[in-house]
Amino acid sequence: MKFEELSLIELVKLLQEQKVSSVEVTKYFIERIKEKQNLNAVLEVYDDAIEQAEKADEKIKNGFKGKLAGVPVIIKDNILFKGKKASCSSKFLENYVAQYNSTVVEKMLNEGAVIIGRANMDEFAMGSSTENSAFGPTLNALDPTRVPGGSSGGSACAVAAGLCPVSLGTDTGGSIRQPASYNGIVGIKPTYGRVSRYGVVAFASSIEQVGPLTKNVKDNAYMLGVLSGGSEHDETSLKIEVPDFLSQIKGDIKGIKVGVLKEVEEMVKGLDVEKTYHSVIDFLKANGAEIVYSSIPDFALTLPCYYIIAPAEATSNLGRFDGVKYSRRSPKATNVDEIYLKSRSEGFGKEVKRRIMLGNFVLSSGYFDAYYNKAKKLQQKLKIEAGKVFSKCDVIVLPTTTGVAFKLGAKSNDPIAMYKEDLFTILANILGAPALSLPCGKNEEGLPYGIQIIANSLNEGMAYNVADYIEKGYRG
Amino acid sequence: MEKTKVTIEEVKRLAGLSSLEFSEEELKSFIPEFENMLELVDQVKNCDVSDVEVKYTSHKLAQLREDCAKDSLPQEEILLNSPKTKKGSFCVPKMLD
Amino acid sequence: MQDFDIVIGLEVHAELKTNSKVFCSCKNQFGSTPNTNCCPVCVGLPGALPVLNKKAVQLVIKAGLTIDSEINDLAIFERKNYFYPDLAKAYQISQLVRPICIGGHIDLKDKRIRINRIHLEEDAGKLVHSTQAIGTLIDYNRGGVPLMELVTEPDISSADEAVEFLTKLRQRLIFADVANCKMEQGGMRCDVNISVKPKGSSVLGQRTEMKNLNSFKSVYRAINYEANRQIEVIRNGGKIVQETRKWDDNHEKSVSMRKKETSQDYRYFPDPDMLAVEISREDVENIRKTMPLMPEELKKKYIEEYKLTEYDADIITKDRDIIKYFEDTIKLYNNPKVVANWLLTDILSKIKDEENAEIKISPKDLAKILTLLEQSKISRTVAKDIFAKVWEENADVDSLAKEMGGSVDEESLKTIIANILATNPKAVEDYHTSDTPEKVFRWFVGQVMKETKGKANAPMAEKIIKELLK
Repeated sequence: MKFEELSLIELVKLLQEQKVSSVEVTKYFIERIKEKQNLNAVLEVYDDAIEQAEKADEKIKNGFKGKLAGVPVIIKDNILFKGKKASCSSKFLENYVAQYNSTVVEKMLNEGAVIIGRANMDEFAMGSSTENSAFGPTLNALDPTRVPGGSSGGSACAVAAGLCPVSLGTDTGGSIRQPASYNGIVGIKPTYGRVSRYGVVAFASSIEQVGPLTKNVKDNAYMLGVLSGGSEHDETSLKIEVPDFLSQIKGDIKGIKVGVLKEVEEMVKGLDVEKTYHSVIDFLKANGAEIVYSSIPDFALTLPCYYIIAPAEATSNLGRFDGVKYSRRSPKATNVDEIYLKSRSEGFGKEVKRRIMLGNFVLSSGYFDAYYNKAKKLQQKLKIEAGKVFSKCDVIVLPTTTGVAFKLGAKSNDPIAMYKEDLFTILANILGAPALSLPCGKNEEGLPYGIQIIANSLNEGMAYNVADYIEKGYRG
Repeated sequence: MEKTKVTIEEVKRLAGLSSLEFSEEELKSFIPEFENMLELVDQVKNCDVSDVEVKYTSHKLAQLREDCAKDSLPQEEILLNSPKTKKGSFCVPKMLD
Repeated sequence: MQDFDIVIGLEVHAELKTNSKVFCSCKNQFGSTPNTNCCPVCVGLPGALPVLNKKAVQLVIKAGLTIDSEINDLAIFERKNYFYPDLAKAYQISQLVRPICIGGHIDLKDKRIRINRIHLEEDAGKLVHSTQAIGTLIDYNRGGVPLMELVTEPDISSADEAVEFLTKLRQRLIFADVANCKMEQGGMRCDVNISVKPKGSSVLGQRTEMKNLNSFKSVYRAINYEANRQIEVIRNGGKIVQETRKWDDNHEKSVSMRKKETSQDYRYFPDPDMLAVEISREDVENIRKTMPLMPEELKKKYIEEYKLTEYDADIITKDRDIIKYFEDTIKLYNNPKVVANWLLTDILSKIKDEENAEIKISPKDLAKILTLLEQSKISRTVAKDIFAKVWEENADVDSLAKEMGGSVDEESLKTIIANILATNPKAVEDYHTSDTPEKVFRWFVGQVMKETKGKANAPMAEKIIKELLK
């Protein structure tokens, strides 16, 4: 059986009915990872993966009905799984072994998941192409001359290339949605707080979330149900009941109010994605959705706002990597100051250093008000503007990216061009709102475009419903 | 808007705050890059936010964690990833206090 | 020194009396094996997140109430960023913009010291500077222990005032059960900001800061040393440099720390891992209800309500344990004056010279003795004997009272007294003829006590003697 052609939900069913064993499925995917090693999507297959699968089979035999019973999962390299390496694709943490389980890993294990390995990423999740990995770039699953996007490039490529039925990514400014878009799969950044960040190596704490990457919308809704739910270890996680996201997919969009932003209409002019974007809007309208023309006047400022808040938090979050308690200590260091200076200078890659420097700039005395405080106020203003839109609309539809995946190396020497990859995705992070990307149509080379659906906070179900409808009916 | 200029002293100051060291060469090449980044973030200056008040997400005192002591991790697990340990402690070269 | 004013502000840190740390559930415990009260949070492992301890916030509110602070209705936590090996995350979670407590004051003998704020933060780990070969060892057991930091206005103008202030503050924190303030364990530490200016001048001088003074004696000496040093510098035409100085207790002098550490830019910003805390009026009132009276208030109450002398009230209210003993006893025997009397003459005199002295009689036993005495079931002499036996042998009051007390009943007493009078006709005569019959009367009482081995109830005996002598 070609397990990579099954959806997650189909596979779960087969496993639960014991038509296939977890060992069989796990071995199959591990074999595929080996075959597709050239993609460099997976940094490590855990050596106990088969053992985990054996245990899962045992449990299934004994009547265990976990939502992921026996399902192989790949996690991004910044998510802690006790006893396993978690390097954030950084030389600095090359040999770091997680000392505890993240909440998301815990939740997946409780549902019987078999976590088979960790996926490549941009170092410390900083980047949009996975070229910032200390362990070499991941290739796009659909075109090996192109980037898979980032920072969750390995996770997205793994699902798209059929190396696992589902993977986890993290999304700070688009790091799940943009690679999902570039690899033609579905990824969601949930509502801020929906999923606990405990045990996920922090980049920008106030805006990032873990989310699933899957081949289709329903799989995604299913998986988010497993990951969601507050944690006593995370104050910012929401201690509220988790809805059944799957049941919120109604197969109907009649009367749903779709917000189209004036600013986005302006921005897409001349972009690759323009045609697809408009045809998706037309499709929704033709199928009974109500198109509501709205505005977030400061939309264009989401990018600068993000590039203040995220580096500020990152610079502080990454202070703990200092060569003292964990992380590689420079052999050249002879005293404590040198341990800091040399370990960090040798350990961090260029992009990480850039953002640490920028973060220190916006936080430092004399600049704090003009940058950090201003950005926080701007964030508040954007929330107010978006609140007005969501008072009239159920979802906002916009592109995920400006076009299809770009060529490897095309932007690696132009940080600003790389930053602009996040143009359409950052808004959701700034708002804390859930946003999903799904593939919509392809260009003449067969590369997918991604369309993004942002729903109001806590309304993932609405985004899933609209996305599922597009997935089923839209032919670009 | 005029591009913010960055001096080498400024970059050195930031490197100090960042606990990062750069060669003179790296510092020099960093300046134009950094100026470009500032050009991007300087856009927030155009936005009028004078009437905006930042709202903090909050919880009530009663919702906070109860003061119950629980078991800690074993010492060897705490020290697991340390580049250097001695006598059950993390260890660095002797500091002048 | 006479030509100069000294301007002092204090920053006082006290470790809060909680079971668990401020952001994780590890034990808040002194003296454990290194790195055994540690978890991902307090060692700053990647991905770990702080979860605020309710009790720690409540204790800071309580501390604020002891000094009449305003309690903020929204408290925010910020990160203070700097690199140091005792600081696991390279930032300390602290409070800058909206601390839990704002303002307040402590009154000294003849002066009010204003308080700027009290905030909650986490303690750092401990560095042990070993040999060159071993290096510096880092123990994070103390990392994440809840600390309150109290900052005064620069209202203190001498070492004496500083020590008086600290003594009062310490007493209040201990009273309110906020902190143990064990200075020898680093449970209370003090930073001193100090500057000098020509007498009467309104222009403040440049200040220096001395960090981590961990005894009142060091504070006292450090202030005097540093004030004199600054005055000398100015007198010699020099300038004071703003810097952090380290007090060296062994050599009794302050030395400059490296400039680099003094010109820190901490880049405070709200901790994005934490939520702000809403503190309602009701929360504050609920905490206020649990507040014991502070020493000064208690003293007033003892004098006005219990009619104790100022001297007695003063002595009792000096120590939390003594107050508790006193209060516990008067709950069982409601005559504060009598209890105070016994407490001062019979108990405190016994233990005043002992260190870690313990009161070896329970409030319950003392109250029992006093009740028996009041009910004339035992005499004063017997009461003292019983007290002594309980103190020394942990004897049982009831059985002692039975054995030694059960005082002679009126009929027997009459017989005994009649006998005494009969066998001492000379004395009876003296009583009727003497200029000082009182003296003879007392002699009779003494005889009765002797005959009854102290078991006679004195007032009753006196009454019978008077009757029979008529």
